[in-house]
Amino acid sequence: MLLNAEPGKTYTVKEINTDDEEMNSFLFRLGCYVGEPITLISKKKKSCIVAIKDGRYNLDELLSSAIIV
Amino acid sequence: MRIAFAGNPNSGKTTMYNALTGRSEKVGNWGGVTVGSKEYPIKEEYTGGKEVVAVDLPGAYSMSPFTPEEGITSEYVRTANPDAIVNIVDATNLSRSLFFTTQLLELGIPVVVALNKSDINEKEGTKIDVKKLSEKLKCPVFETTSTEGKGLKDVISNAIELVGGGQSAPYVQADINLQNKAEVDAEDRKRFSFVNDIVANVEKREMLSSETTKSDKLDGVLTNPIAGILVFAAVMWAVFWVSQAWLGPLVADWLVGWIETFQEWVAGKLENSPAILSALLADGIVGGVGAVVGFLPLVMVMYFLIALLEDCGYMARVSAVMDPIFKRVGLSGKSVIPVVIGTGCGIPAIMACRTIRDERERRATSMLATFIPCGAKIPVIALFAGAFFAGAGWVSTLSYFFGLLLIFLGALLIKYITGYKYRKSFFIMELPKWKMPSLKFAFKSMMERAKAYIIKAATIILICNTVVQIMQTFDWHFNVVEEGAENTSILASIASPFAILLIPLGFGVWQLAAAAITGFIAKENVVGTLAVVYGLTAFIDVDELEMTGGANNVAMATGLTSVTALAYLFFNLYTPPCFAAIGAMNSEMKSRAWLWGAIGLQLGTGYTVAFLIHQFGTLFTEGHFGNAFIPGLIAVAIMATAVILIGRKTRAHFDEKYRLHRDGKSGAAA
Amino acid sequence: MSSTIIATAVVVLAVFLAGRYIYKEKKKGSKCIGCPYCESCSKIDKDS
Repeated sequence: MLLNAEPGKTYTVKEINTDDEEMNSFLFRLGCYVGEPITLISKKKKSCIVAIKDGRYNLDELLSSAIIV
Repeated sequence: MRIAFAGNPNSGKTTMYNALTGRSEKVGNWGGVTVGSKEYPIKEEYTGGKEVVAVDLPGAYSMSPFTPEEGITSEYVRTANPDAIVNIVDATNLSRSLFFTTQLLELGIPVVVALNKSDINEKEGTKIDVKKLSEKLKCPVFETTSTEGKGLKDVISNAIELVGGGQSAPYVQADINLQNKAEVDAEDRKRFSFVNDIVANVEKREMLSSETTKSDKLDGVLTNPIAGILVFAAVMWAVFWVSQAWLGPLVADWLVGWIETFQEWVAGKLENSPAILSALLADGIVGGVGAVVGFLPLVMVMYFLIALLEDCGYMARVSAVMDPIFKRVGLSGKSVIPVVIGTGCGIPAIMACRTIRDERERRATSMLATFIPCGAKIPVIALFAGAFFAGAGWVSTLSYFFGLLLIFLGALLIKYITGYKYRKSFFIMELPKWKMPSLKFAFKSMMERAKAYIIKAATIILICNTVVQIMQTFDWHFNVVEEGAENTSILASIASPFAILLIPLGFGVWQLAAAAITGFIAKENVVGTLAVVYGLTAFIDVDELEMTGGANNVAMATGLTSVTALAYLFFNLYTPPCFAAIGAMNSEMKSRAWLWGAIGLQLGTGYTVAFLIHQFGTLFTEGHFGNAFIPGLIAVAIMATAVILIGRKTRAHFDEKYRLHRDGKSGAAA
Repeated sequence: MSSTIIATAVVVLAVFLAGRYIYKEKKKGSKCIGCPYCESCSKIDKDS
């Protein structure tokens, strides 16, 4: 899970599981899909900041726990 | 000829559109500022004399829409047949942007790519081989910096040249069954790997985006649930303090001096004219409008600072830090953007709700967003802060954060009434790169707001003041009201019944009621009407460089105490903002029931807040409840009962609906 | 006396101009008088 990962490291997305197809494909368009790298920049208790491709995004708890790395 | 501007959110489409057309549409350094399409002719210096219309579209990541505003974009480029498309690509995020670019190139409409934000790339040492990229994409590519107007001419002249010609797509989607998700996915993957290949070929980065930088550390603090909120509070306090307690009043003093001199001069000239004329011109028009215009510097400074905030990229961080709180009350992080925009004006805030996917959340946000004091409420706040709280900057900060609190409480109430069932609500917010805010842009935005403010004062406020003055001067038989018999005026007899309702709130006099009523037309009217009915203008003192002297007359004339003044101020701030905002709510909600619910909620909130402040404030300061505690309590109790009843009814419906879905048999039997 | 005439003219003119401006703006379909963003605001309505 993304929330258990170590900040500053780059991981490969293993699985995306939001149970919401539209959300899945939205993430896809940002470049967040299985096999792609994702970097955890920083994390808090309930959210985290990630780098996907060349952009930074703030993800909430629900979304970050749906991205398995 | 029409050229559409399409690209990812926050790639700078509207900035380019503004530069090309000379318009001043709202821009901000976060994704999703533009929520509808706009069009306007491009200046001739760019088109070489041809008539070309630019169409600005909301940002989209792809042709398959996820958010409502993405839908507008993909529908427009598909069905409206623009003659050419300018694809604005965020050059700092090429790898993501080109996905959409390749889709646009497939449409058969000539595309010109504008590699925007190339100045940031230069700073970061990222190099893009434009020639190679152009070859790979089989379309013209130009580096642009739309904030400075660089490269725009090339983009437009090339786009015009291409019109009518064909362009071959570098990547064409295979003929697949679009209903089949797996096939579509596989296709999209192929597209992305095609894009990745291009990027690997043309882009050279000195700094990898996965590296943690200083700005990431800053973001870490700003999105921290505790530190982030504290910083936000401090920032808002600073904005209000500078605009309303320091720089704003400094300029305002000077301006008010001139207005006052002018008013005296007019009054002097009219000494021998009929009293009604002097009252109408000197007190009503010059005095009333002057009272409103006197606050212009405060409003201008505030808009300047807000523009700086919107430009630097801080707002995206604010919405990230607020998301958990908003979620807890049944809204989403997306609701933060309207709330933030609401500081400027409530109407764009209500419009911005369109980016919220869930209908209930969208409607709830649009009915709550206006609890945030907007620019038009600033004069009212400043007037009361000056008259009763020694010009303190904390009054606005308090009003702002109290407004936020009301949004939370209101959201909880709506959650209760609608019987909200837990639904997964995701929040993802792109954190744009920090950027030095442009003073020029902030200045321009400030001047535009100032112009709007003056126009409003010279039109709506002027007419309202004239009408108020006439209604105050005459009684129903059109006889001039005599001194000492002010209560017989038309204005008094209309406002008095409303004033009775306001007795439990501590300000049950017709003058204050009249000011509150005209406030529904435009909030600045509260100030204008108060000036007219009490014959005051100099709300800002000239000599002491502080908003006390003249404003103290307000305290004397209105007979309000600090407690009742605060109650009156909050009543004006949290009741429905103005007719224009109600109209905007109507068109956003598309439901009579929700609209009336919104108006009811806002009236009820304003009333209850004022009631509680007056009664408990009086209890604390004087040791007993204020006037008419029991009738007020009954009124509030009636409102609470209404909320409970409506809640029961809607939730009963909700349960029924739920049952129908779950269990066909019982549904059929019922 | 002349000041009375001038003042009356000013009042009438000011109210007339203000009223005409509002009327024109309303006819154009804008909701908020003077607002620089109002064109895009009303435009959005047409789209939806």
